[in-house]
Amino acid sequence: MYELTICHLYPDLLNLYGDRGNIIALTKRCEWRGIRVHSRPVSLGDRFSPDECDILFIGGGQDYEQSIIQDDLLKGKREAIKEAVEAGKVILAVCGGMQLLGRYYRTHDGKDIACIGAVDLWTHGSHDRLIGNLVFECDFLKKDGFDGLVVGFENHSGKTWMGPGVRPMGKVIAGFGNNGEDGFEGAVYKNTYCTYSHGSLLPKNPALADHLITLALKNRYTDFEALPPLDDSLEAAAREAMIRRLTGKQGSGR
Amino acid sequence: MKQRFKLLRFWAAVITAKCAIVILRLFKSGGTSLPGKLALKLYPQILDHLAGLFRVTMITGTNGKTTTSRIVLSMMEQKGLKVITNKSGANLSSGITTTLISALTLGGRPRFSHALLETDEAAFRTLAPRLKPETVIVTNFFRDQLDRYGELHTTVNNVREGISRIPDAVLILNADDSLCASLGRNAPNKVIYFGMGEGIYPESGASINSDAAFCIQCKSRYEYSSVTFGHLGHFRCPSCGYERPHTHVECSGILFYDSLGSHVEISGPDLRISVKLALPGLYNIYNALAGASFGLALGLDEKAIAAALSGFECGFGRMETIAIQDKELKMILVKNPTGFNQVLRYLLTQEKPFVLAFAINDRLADGTDISWLWDVDFEVLALMAERVRNFYVSGIRAEDMAVRLKYAGISTDRIRMEKDYRQLITRALQETGAGETCCILPTYTAMLDIRRILKKQFGLKEFWK
Ligand SMILES: [Zn+2]
Repeated sequence: MYELTICHLYPDLLNLYGDRGNIIALTKRCEWRGIRVHSRPVSLGDRFSPDECDILFIGGGQDYEQSIIQDDLLKGKREAIKEAVEAGKVILAVCGGMQLLGRYYRTHDGKDIACIGAVDLWTHGSHDRLIGNLVFECDFLKKDGFDGLVVGFENHSGKTWMGPGVRPMGKVIAGFGNNGEDGFEGAVYKNTYCTYSHGSLLPKNPALADHLITLALKNRYTDFEALPPLDDSLEAAAREAMIRRLTGKQGSGR
Repeated sequence: MKQRFKLLRFWAAVITAKCAIVILRLFKSGGTSLPGKLALKLYPQILDHLAGLFRVTMITGTNGKTTTSRIVLSMMEQKGLKVITNKSGANLSSGITTTLISALTLGGRPRFSHALLETDEAAFRTLAPRLKPETVIVTNFFRDQLDRYGELHTTVNNVREGISRIPDAVLILNADDSLCASLGRNAPNKVIYFGMGEGIYPESGASINSDAAFCIQCKSRYEYSSVTFGHLGHFRCPSCGYERPHTHVECSGILFYDSLGSHVEISGPDLRISVKLALPGLYNIYNALAGASFGLALGLDEKAIAAALSGFECGFGRMETIAIQDKELKMILVKNPTGFNQVLRYLLTQEKPFVLAFAINDRLADGTDISWLWDVDFEVLALMAERVRNFYVSGIRAEDMAVRLKYAGISTDRIRMEKDYRQLITRALQETGAGETCCILPTYTAMLDIRRILKKQFGLKEFWK
């Protein structure tokens, strides 16, 4: 029997916008296939060890909560998280989580706040609020045999940019994406996936959820090949409805 | 001369708004913001002027505003006061302006002595100094429509800023909510705190989605000796000592509790009553406590407070019940995770089988971001799944709700999608047995739409009257 350990970083502080929907989706989609999941909250004062983690989830928090974790994160967990990223652990970082993985966050009054620096991206605060439903297109999902369209909801005032070693996660079809300017959404570095799509990202995009689960299983089990398919008709209906609403076009249904 | 010009403008604005109110009524539209908007255009200071004509009480907070304001109204009625109140949908400056104008005679004189105004949390900062309330009640703070309100601490600070401009107002605050109670710290105002006694409330345990696990003063993790729900409870910060304040009005016992109401003891230095509340849902005890606190501030005696609480019978918050033949249809508004969780806990008390329908919209007034559905503990539905005949999903985001139910462990063959509200009501009622209930849980705009249909089909009365 396959097993995976999913760590949720600061679940009691970085838990905005239904972030836990992503954990629920990963867990259920494993369980439905008989894969045992251990979920482990990693909060203030807890040790984070990359060896004991297959998938790490980092959500977004409100400013107040983010200010609480600052010390614990930068002094206590920074090196371990960098190590996890470099070791190719599967990481999903959403919204504030993506910003935290980057090099710094520059507030609109020009103050730089240091971040983990695990991924070569950075964020500048702005006065605009980039908010609304979002559709973007991911090549790596097309390679998995899907239409590659991912739907989500973004709500951020930070604008994120990335260095040459990092690929965008996808191309924006509708919405703003990383900065509302270059047409890209999210960032991928090794097995670390960052996006501004929060909330029910994974429940509504099962192809993406399965992509992450597959990577994690391949990391851990050399004999693992592929996940058996599930009946995703409800998920497909929810995804399709949003694709139709935002693009006026039909997705391929998967 | 200037004064006369001002009066003229005031009167012109009042007349214009009154005409608009009459015209809107003629067209059977319940529009409450347009007349106020017109008046504010013609005379931007009109609210300050209007507020001077009434003795104002304001109610704000995330959940329970509407119920609390109805309880407060019955307290005022015990005292024989003449009160104008706004409808819950009219809690921004334009709606409040409309409300106050409708309380004037054509000559611009007030027909009521008091105004009881439910106020949007985000609008409170600017409205409080203009309305100069004598009393302010803050129910609680929870995360709510982050796309619209922004971060929770911003909302709390908005209310704090509003309060700092009205040092003479009496504050009635929820002691169990560390965010709400902090409004009374270091404020020059007179404060009345209400809360739940230690260990009185059946505990739900702390949730990882707690909106305030960390001290608002020093950011250390609070310790709780008891939790009621969400982040409400007996909190204490081990590092700076900030803790739940002593209450003046406290629920000291829940003698009885079922799906129709509860029997509670309320006590404090100045009162000790035992009263039956016809308000289902445990969280309504908080609203009753807020109401009792107001009664005290108003100078009512124990008997009058008890009478106001027990005579109160309008269902809860925004729950409406209508009898359809031998069945019952209940509609309960849902708008944020904490409120939704409380409704689910209430449903757990239903003993008979029932049909459960969700109508989720994502229009502006609902919140355009529906991610919050993932913060609701739908997993508790498993505890009542046997009693639920079927699960219906409806509204613009019906598909998303279906996915949420699936991942909460509800078998997909029990989830029915029906986007047409007329069909939804018909199908859901068909499955409801005699003597049973069909529960519809809509978001705000879905509630308005469903209400319109219920009104046409079953003669439900209009709600802006
Ligand atoms: Zn403290």
